Amino acid sequence: MKFLCVPCDSPMKLQTVGPPDRGSLSIVYSCPECGYEIAMLTNAYETQAVQSLGVRIGPEAPRRSSESEVGSADAGAGCPFASMIPATEDAQRGQVGEPAPVRWTAAAEARLAKVPAFVRPMAKAGIERYARDNGCSEVDEKILEAAREFFGM
Amino acid sequence: MKRYHDIVGDGGSGILEQVAEQRSRITDGLAGVRHLVAVGSGKGGVGKSTLTLHLAGALRARGLRIAILDADFNGPSQARMAGVQGALFVPGSHKVSLPRTKNGIAVFSMGSVIAESEALDFESTASGESHTWRATREFSLLGEILASFEWGALDLLMFDLPPGAERTVQYADFLGPRTSFLLVTIPSEVARGVVARSVAALSKGPNRLLGYVENMSGYYCRDCDAIKPLFVSSDAQGRPADLKIPCLGTVPFDPELARHCDQGFPLADLPNTPVGRALDHVAQQLLDTLEPEPSR
Repeated sequence: MKFLCVPCDSPMKLQTVGPPDRGSLSIVYSCPECGYEIAMLTNAYETQAVQSLGVRIGPEAPRRSSESEVGSADAGAGCPFASMIPATEDAQRGQVGEPAPVRWTAAAEARLAKVPAFVRPMAKAGIERYARDNGCSEVDEKILEAAREFFGM
Repeated sequence: MKRYHDIVGDGGSGILEQVAEQRSRITDGLAGVRHLVAVGSGKGGVGKSTLTLHLAGALRARGLRIAILDADFNGPSQARMAGVQGALFVPGSHKVSLPRTKNGIAVFSMGSVIAESEALDFESTASGESHTWRATREFSLLGEILASFEWGALDLLMFDLPPGAERTVQYADFLGPRTSFLLVTIPSEVARGVVARSVAALSKGPNRLLGYVENMSGYYCRDCDAIKPLFVSSDAQGRPADLKIPCLGTVPFDPELARHCDQGFPLADLPNTPVGRALDHVAQQLLDTLEPEPSR
């Protein structure tokens, strides 16, 4: 979808995207010639249709599709995929008794970000369990490599 | 006044560019795969998943590098059958590693992620209208899987498709002309009729139709050590419906194989049985069809 400022015959530029409000996005475009602004207000069906493409709406550079969701500032717990993850063994264990916390190094977290959002919580929990089982309180790249080897990957 | 195609870009989000980038990541991720084969039917319950897994096993036994992508997100069965339920996905330095079966077949199945007591669900802002967006969302998910996981150098990536003749064609569209199709039917005229529709629909596109496999082609009675009929395979004139593509083989139904599938045991445990020999024959036919050159 494109917007044209008719008096200027100039394509309008996306300026801001408001946070989702009950399924609606508020997307502001402005004319670079005259500065006139309009807002496109989507209904829930329009928001969902774009979201289903796995693309990001916004003026900033597109992120990787696996990290992108319309209106979600960050992947992970708040992402739409999170609801696809059932209560895993770890999650259930977490409700009964909290396991020891496991830290992630920045490099290991960067690798974790490569996991598609919908399986990321499960991958994270499984790797932390592997780390704990091996007496480690921190997940680093060495632990990730060890887990790959252990699981025959 | 300018028209749509007079304007470069969409003013900010670059939706088309993002979609193109997704497609590029998929293409890059599959660059090392020699053959893409989708196992479909149109009809449900004909044994697509069972055949996919056991043909993969038979080809793996020949030394081929094989992976399976269980594309039936809503009814995944490969995780249980391949023994990778609850498998761990570990991120590597570049992509995410895939779980493997004991005989080395890489498997992605939503059944590894979602317990059988749970249903695949997507958060939606348009409740009650999933028919308008669900298929798009599922194909977007398929794209993420293809782009994010480490398929690496493979001889064969097999897609275990969901039922539905229209879905089969949608997968052909999404996966592109590189993907060949192997269709599965059973000797029931109802099933063959649905598969015939899939053949007709796929024939309109660029994808290669490798042939079909007739599954449940009789019942293997262990007591009698004989194959007995399960279906009457004929039309009103007593002729089986012509699917107009090559038949790569017939596979009898064996309750022991079904038990193996439920428990995640490999076909190698059933080597010298009619069903084992039949699957091995189909695997060889499939291989010969994919790679007819003697250079193999």
